[in-house]
Amino acid sequence: MATIEQAQKKNVKALAGKYLTFDLGKEEYCIGILKVREIIGLLEITAVPHTPRYIKGVINLRGSVIPVLDLRTKFDMEAKEYTERTCIIVVEVQGESGAVLVGMIVDSVSEVLNISETEIEPPPTFGGDAVETDNFLGMAKVKGRVKILLDTDKVIGETGLGRQAAA
Amino acid sequence: MVGAERSVNELLDDMAVKIMMIEPGDLSAVGELLEVLERLTGHEEVASRALLLQMASVYQEALQALIMAELPDTAESYQQLAECISRMQEVRRNPEDQRAVAAFCSHLQSIGCGIDPARLSGGGQRQGRQEDKDEPEFLRDKELLECFIDETGEYLGAIEAQVLELEKAPGNSEAINAIFRAFHTIKGTAGSVSLPEISSLAHAIENLLDEVRSDRISMDAEVIELVLAVDDCLKLMVAHVQDVYENGVAYQPAAIDGQLALISGVLGKKCGAGRPAPAEAAAAAQDAAGEQPPPSAPAGGPVPDFLKDSDLLSGFISEAFEHLESIELNVLELEQNPNDPEIINNIFRPFHTIKGVSGFLNLMTINRLAHATENLLDDVRNDRLTMNSGIIDIVLGVGDFLRTMIQNLSDVLDKGPQYYQQYDINDFLVRIRACQAGGEAGEAGEPVQPLAAVPPAREAEAAGPAADPPVAAPPANGGKTVEAAMAAAGPAQKKNIEAAIKVDINKLDGLVNAVGELVIMQAMVRHNPLIAGLSDPKLNKDFSQLTRITTELQKTAMSMRMVPIRQTFQKMTRLVRDLSKKTGKLVNLVMEGEETEIDRNMVDSIYDPLVHMIRNSVDHGVQTPSERRKRGKPEAGTVRLSAYQKGGNIIIEIADDGEGVNTEKIREKALQRGLIQPGSSYAEHEINNLIFLPGFSTADKITDVSGRGVGMDVVKKGVEKLRGKVELQSTPGEGSLFLMHLPLTLAIIDGIVVRVGSERYIIPTIAIRESMRPKMDNYNTVQGRGETLLVRDTLLPIIRLYKLFGVADAGMDISQGIVVVVENEGRQRALLVDELLGKQEVVIKSLGGYMKDIKGVAGGTILGDGRVGLILDLAGLISASEEMGPGGLNPSNAIEQ
Repeated sequence: MATIEQAQKKNVKALAGKYLTFDLGKEEYCIGILKVREIIGLLEITAVPHTPRYIKGVINLRGSVIPVLDLRTKFDMEAKEYTERTCIIVVEVQGESGAVLVGMIVDSVSEVLNISETEIEPPPTFGGDAVETDNFLGMAKVKGRVKILLDTDKVIGETGLGRQAAA
Repeated sequence: MVGAERSVNELLDDMAVKIMMIEPGDLSAVGELLEVLERLTGHEEVASRALLLQMASVYQEALQALIMAELPDTAESYQQLAECISRMQEVRRNPEDQRAVAAFCSHLQSIGCGIDPARLSGGGQRQGRQEDKDEPEFLRDKELLECFIDETGEYLGAIEAQVLELEKAPGNSEAINAIFRAFHTIKGTAGSVSLPEISSLAHAIENLLDEVRSDRISMDAEVIELVLAVDDCLKLMVAHVQDVYENGVAYQPAAIDGQLALISGVLGKKCGAGRPAPAEAAAAAQDAAGEQPPPSAPAGGPVPDFLKDSDLLSGFISEAFEHLESIELNVLELEQNPNDPEIINNIFRPFHTIKGVSGFLNLMTINRLAHATENLLDDVRNDRLTMNSGIIDIVLGVGDFLRTMIQNLSDVLDKGPQYYQQYDINDFLVRIRACQAGGEAGEAGEPVQPLAAVPPAREAEAAGPAADPPVAAPPANGGKTVEAAMAAAGPAQKKNIEAAIKVDINKLDGLVNAVGELVIMQAMVRHNPLIAGLSDPKLNKDFSQLTRITTELQKTAMSMRMVPIRQTFQKMTRLVRDLSKKTGKLVNLVMEGEETEIDRNMVDSIYDPLVHMIRNSVDHGVQTPSERRKRGKPEAGTVRLSAYQKGGNIIIEIADDGEGVNTEKIREKALQRGLIQPGSSYAEHEINNLIFLPGFSTADKITDVSGRGVGMDVVKKGVEKLRGKVELQSTPGEGSLFLMHLPLTLAIIDGIVVRVGSERYIIPTIAIRESMRPKMDNYNTVQGRGETLLVRDTLLPIIRLYKLFGVADAGMDISQGIVVVVENEGRQRALLVDELLGKQEVVIKSLGGYMKDIKGVAGGTILGDGRVGLILDLAGLISASEEMGPGGLNPSNAIEQ
C-alpha cells in the first residue's frame, strides 16, 4: 500500500498547473486548461437514440458534429433544470483514432486557477464502488476549499464510455 | 489532385532536377529530359514567347545530339546543360534578359554544340533579317550594344582594380568572387549581343577563376598576370567594337586563340593531372557498384540518418510507391509484349529514379537493390540478356520487396525510428547476378511468349509506335541507337500525363468542410425571418448569385476529392496475372473507363470487393483452356473491368466470358441450407443473388483461391458500407456480370428529411420506394402488436420510428402520419413518421468514434437551421427493430439501452 501511495505522490507532482474550475451542485471540479477547447452556452441538442442516458445528443459546433454529455447524469447526481448559467465545456479527449472533441454540460463555470503541487493530494479511496476514483486525478485544497481534479480522458474518453457500456 | 496544367516554371524545375541526377552513360535519363522538354515546347505560355521557344528547341537539338553521341557524354556536358536550364529560367522570368541568352549559348558552345547565337539573338521574329550579312551581327541592336560597351568598360575597370587588390591580399575570396562575377556578366552580355569571341574569352577565364574560387588552384602571380592580360585584351576588343559602332570601321574579329591557349595551359598545368576524366570515373563507379556495395554504404548503423530530412523522405516514399506501381504495370505489360523496348525503358526509369533518390537519402539497401535490378534491365535493354519469365519474376519480386521496405520506412516516419528494419536483399542480389551470368552464358530461361492470344486493343496501340520508331538510327551504335529511338518515341506515347499538385488530404478535407459550412450558413442567413421578410429585388438577385457561387465552390471542392479509378483497376492486373498462373487458365483483363472518378475515400473500400469479384470470375467463371476449346471459345478467357457514371452513381462492372453461374446448383445448395422453400417459385436473378449470403458457396472443392463462401459476402458488405449495391447477372454458358452501384461521393447523400415529433431525420433517397398516408383499411395487427400495412399486395411490417428512437412528442396515430416504404437488402418496411419535410442533399458528418456503431444511425448532418439531423441507416434500423420485437421500446428505455 505504501508503495502505491508513494507512486501517487510522484504522479501528483506532474499535476501542478492551470485548471478551469466549474460547479456541479455544491461540488467544485477542475480540468486541465490545456484540455479545454472552448466554453459555449447551451445550444439545441439533437438526441441520438440507443446511447447511454447521460449522452444528451449531438450539437453543431461550427460545422462539426460533436457529442454532448451531461456530467450530472454521468456522475449519477440529481438532475437539475438547465439555467442561463448552464454551459457546455468543449474538451479534447483521446479516442482510439486520435483526439476528439466532446461537450460536457456543467452547472456553471467559475474561474481559471493555478494549482501548485503542494496543494494537490492523490484521490482518496472510498469503500465499495460508490465512487469511481479512477475518474479523478486527485484533490486540491485551494484557499480552504476542496476541488476535484477530473481526468477527462477517463471520464468521457472513449475508454470511459466503453467501460460504461460494458457495465 | 488538381488537373491544372503544369506551369513552365515547374517544367523547368523538373528538368533541372532531372539533369542533376543524370550520370554519364545514362541516356534513358536524357530521354526523360527530352520528354519534359517536349511538354515545355508544347506549352501554351512557351509557344507565345518566341525566345523561350527558340531556346527550348536549341536545347532539344543539343540533347538529341548528345543521344546521337555527337556531343561528349560527360559530366562536364551535363553540368553545362544544367546551367542552360538555369538560363532558361532566367529568361522565363525576364524575357529581356539578353545576358542569360548569351550565357545559354556559351554553355552550349563550351561543350561543342555548334549553335548559331543569331537564332536566339532577339526572338524568332528577327530571323528574317539574317539576310543582310554585310553588317556584323552585334550591330543589329544598337541600344543593346551601347549598353554592352558602357557596362563592359566599367566591369573591365573594376576587374583591374580588384586584381590589384588581390595581389596585395591573395586570399581575399570576396575579390575573387567579384572578378568572377564580372567576367561572368561580360560573358553573358557579349553572347547576347553576338560577340562570340569576347564571350568565349570571358568564359575561359571564368572557368579558370572557378577553379581558383573552389581552391583547386591557387591565386598566384601567374594567374594574376593572366587575368590582367585577358582584361587588357578584352578592353581592346570592346574598344574595337565601339569603333565599329561609332565610326563605321570594318569589324575585325580578334584572334583570341592565343589567350585561350594560355588559359587552358595554366588550367592544365595546375590541376589537369590530378583530376580524372569525370566521365570515366563515373562510368567506372557505376560498373563497380553493381558488383559490390558502394563504399559509402553504412554498415547497418542503428540510427537511420535518412530520418534527418523527413519531408524529403516522405516525398520519396509517396513517389516510390507510385514508381513501384508503374513498374508493376509495365512488367505485366511486358509479359504481353516481351520485345517492346519502350516498356523495358518504362521499367528501367522508375528503378533508376528510386536508385538515385534512395542513394541521396542514404537508404543504401534500397539503393543497392534498385541498382542491381537496373543493371539487370540494362543488360536486357542492350540485348545482352533475353527477357524471360525468370527476369520478370525477379523484377516483380524486387518490386514487392521494395514496397515492403518502403512501407517500413513509412512506418518509421509515422511511428519512430525503433520500427526501422534492416532487410536482407542478398537473396535478390544473388538471383539477379545468377540471371545476368546465365544470360551471358546463353542459358536463359524460356523466352516469354505473349500470354494472350488476343491482346487487348490498348496494348496493341501502345506497341504500334514502338515497333516503328520514328528516328532511324545508325545500326553501328548498338544499344544507344535503340535508346535514341526510344527516347524519341517516348514523348509521343506519353500524352496522358496530367499535371497536378499534391495536397495534404487534411487540408483538402478542411476545405471541403469549410465550404460545407459556408453553404449551410448562407442558407441560414437567407432564411433568417428578418431577411426573408424583405422583398428587395436587388437583394434577391444578389442572393441567387451568392447561391450560385457557393454551389459552384462546393462542386469544385468536392471534385477535388475525386480521383480516377485507374490505380485501383491497375492493381487488378497483377491479381489476374497471379491468379491465372495459379489456376492454369489463360485470362485477359480488359479495362474500360479507367478515368472515371470516384471519391478518394472510397478507393480503399472498393479494393477488397473488387479483389473478391475478380477472384470469383477467374476461379469460377473462366474455364480451363481445354474446356474452353471444347465449347468453341478462344482459349484465353476475358475478364472485363469497366467503370462509368450513370445518373448519380458510379457503376463498376466485372464481366467474364466463362460459363456463367449455375443457377440449378445454387438452388440445390439453397434448398439444402433451407434458404428457400421447396416448391416455391423464385426468379432466376433472385436465386443467383443468393451467392452474396455469408458462407454460401457452390464450389465442390475449396481451393486456396476461393470457395469458402466468404468472398461474395465480403463484396456485399463492403459495397453496402459505401451505400451502394451489388447484383449479379448471368447467362449460362456465356458468362456472368457483376454490377456494383456506388454513390458518386461518400460525403454527400441525397435524402428526404422527415419529422418525427421535434426531431428530424434524413432517410437516404436510394432506399425509399414510396411514401403515402396510410389507409386504415390496409392496417392489420398480429397478436395485437405486430403491425403490418398492405401496400400493393405486399404485407409490410410497420416500424414506428418514434418508438424505436424514443421520441416522446411524436404522433402515435398511424392514420395521421406518413408511411415511408423503404427497402434494404431486399427487405421492405413501412416507416411511420409524422411529416415529410423535403428532399435535400446533405453533407454527411461522422458522429465521431465516440458514437460509432449506433444501430440505425449512419451519421449526422447539419440542417438548414444549424441544428444537427441524424441520417438513418436502414440496415441497422431494420435489424434493431427486429431485435426489439414488434412492440418496440418505450421511449424511456430506448435511451437507456
